[in-house]
Amino acid sequence: MSRWLTTPRRCPGLPWVGRPIDVLAALLLLVVLTGLTLYAASVGSYTTSMAQLWQSLFAADQTALPGNVLWELRLPRILLAILGGAAMALAGVLMQSLTRNPLAAPGLVGVEAGASVTMLLILVLWPQALPLPLYPLAALLGGLAVALFIVALSWRGGIAPLRLILVGVGLTAMLGAVADLLITYGNIDRVESALMWLGGSLHRSDWPQVQSLLIWLLVAGLPLLFCHRQLNLLQLGEGVALSRGLNAPVIMLLLLLCSVTLTAATVANIGVMTFVGLVAPHLARQLCGDRHGALLPLSALFGAVLVLLGDTLGRALLPPLQLPAGLVVAIIGAPYLLVLLARQRNR
Amino acid sequence: MTAGWRWPVWLSILVGIGLASTLHLAVGAKSIPWSDVWQALLAYDPSNSDHSVIRGSRLPRLWVAMVVGACLGLAGTVMQAVGDNPLADPGILGINSGAALFVVIGLLVLPGNDMSMIPLFAFSGALVAAIGVMLLAGRTPNPVRLTLSGAMMAALFGAITAILLLLDQQGLDSLRRWLTGSLGISGANLPAWLWPYIVAGMLLCLVNVRALNAYRLGAQVASSMGVNLLRMRLLSLVAVVLLSGCAVALAGPIGFVGLVVPHAARLLVGHDLRQLLLATPLLGGLLLVLADVVARTLVSPYGVNTGIVPALIGGPVFVALVLRKLK
Repeated sequence: MSRWLTTPRRCPGLPWVGRPIDVLAALLLLVVLTGLTLYAASVGSYTTSMAQLWQSLFAADQTALPGNVLWELRLPRILLAILGGAAMALAGVLMQSLTRNPLAAPGLVGVEAGASVTMLLILVLWPQALPLPLYPLAALLGGLAVALFIVALSWRGGIAPLRLILVGVGLTAMLGAVADLLITYGNIDRVESALMWLGGSLHRSDWPQVQSLLIWLLVAGLPLLFCHRQLNLLQLGEGVALSRGLNAPVIMLLLLLCSVTLTAATVANIGVMTFVGLVAPHLARQLCGDRHGALLPLSALFGAVLVLLGDTLGRALLPPLQLPAGLVVAIIGAPYLLVLLARQRNR
Repeated sequence: MTAGWRWPVWLSILVGIGLASTLHLAVGAKSIPWSDVWQALLAYDPSNSDHSVIRGSRLPRLWVAMVVGACLGLAGTVMQAVGDNPLADPGILGINSGAALFVVIGLLVLPGNDMSMIPLFAFSGALVAAIGVMLLAGRTPNPVRLTLSGAMMAALFGAITAILLLLDQQGLDSLRRWLTGSLGISGANLPAWLWPYIVAGMLLCLVNVRALNAYRLGAQVASSMGVNLLRMRLLSLVAVVLLSGCAVALAGPIGFVGLVVPHAARLLVGHDLRQLLLATPLLGGLLLVLADVVARTLVSPYGVNTGIVPALIGGPVFVALVLRKLK
């Protein structure tokens, strides 16, 4: 039985990357995600029953209270959590495969630090400088600028993973100091709201943000699902990839750009979610190993589940207070990651 | 060492410290002429307000800066020697954030403790972080993996600290200055209960000098020369934990001093650890005093937090090191 599940090309209906067990895992994750969505839609300071939920989902009149809560508050939040989790997880898989390092996080190339500093500058120093809808765009630009700077610094006729990682760590720490400077000297109320945002909070979610994140996910995330072959080759080392006819520098640059864009879009719309990008790929790897054909969709699902879980827990644990989802995920995910990595440390 | 003790280098370090200290005492929210600074030190006159500013607030701050810089410089040197890793630093490897988290927990969550408990919290946090990073980094020395594990631990501890502070806005308001590394926090004087820990940490470094020097040739050569590797590593771990814990307890997490100082010292006095371990505390003190001068004069009269200045200098130095070493 188990042999049948893990043997490739046993089911004629599946794509050649898939194995029956991957389909099972994906289905299981989808079920978990649906269940979590239903729970997240019903729980909160205004509790709705499942029947009410069902009614208001299809009710024509959305001004009634249950419908209003569902459509205006809960649905955008849930969708944003799912989309953001998937985007961060994909970015994490890319970063870990590109640097061939299981500890690489999507924020490694300074996207998150750049976006954070930009947002802090806006939120703390010039709150009136930009209209609210333009905030995500500013964060996106800040993150991209820093990421491009780091990539350019570490460029050596192609992407050199070691240099990329270390230059990224150095500059991220420096930007962290700038962020600290702003946090220390800003007005305490503005700093509090900025810290909320930096913790990866979904409390300001709205339909336009869902829209923008969805567009970025379609642009930069969907094509990745067809790049599994290139990623598998890169995993074997740049030399092997070159000898198999892959234009490694160009492909790596494109993939890095995808990862950076996904991270920047998520950071801009939700906030900093480093640990999702670290943990979700590892969870998925426990199921399917390093086969990117299955790894990419599975880790996207894991990411969605993680962020939704983190956000729901953050809402439900200490009711009047909302803990940022990113921090909740960090606290859940980090111990698991530590155990996992300590177990395979001698590899 | 063919050159022996290079007196000009040591002399210039000492003169540099003297000049920097005088500058530190003279500038600030109110600049005080140098002659008055000397008079305040040599012939103290309690009725003169300038003298009491120097004796009462600037001199203690100078001592704190020197001690913290010395601790961080020594801790960085020992970490780089033991880890055989030029990129090690208590800040980058998450040890400072671990200590900071435990101090925050101790102050905000556990009720009823006084200031003398802070170093103990800081030590336990530094110990937990150091052991965690060592577990993650694996047995074979691998700078990249070590750095990444450190960055991850720092992110984790930072996240937990952020949650705690979000839950308690008053705590955030009172602790946010300390969390970025501020020399002004510990107030009037170097607390007397901190001295034993600092001295113990420095002594442990000195006990280890021979073993660390032999270790530079590689683990196998060192153990064939009779060095007890386990003892050396344990003693160094304890020393690093004590020193960085003290620094955090005094001034909050200050990064990058432990990274920059050993490299500067190696340029000046060479690779012999007997001289390095003497030079790095001096240079660390010098760097932090200068950083404090910059921090206090940059946005006078408010003053930036001291920890931010080394990070702004140290980040580019780190990047330059990486770009030069990894061709």
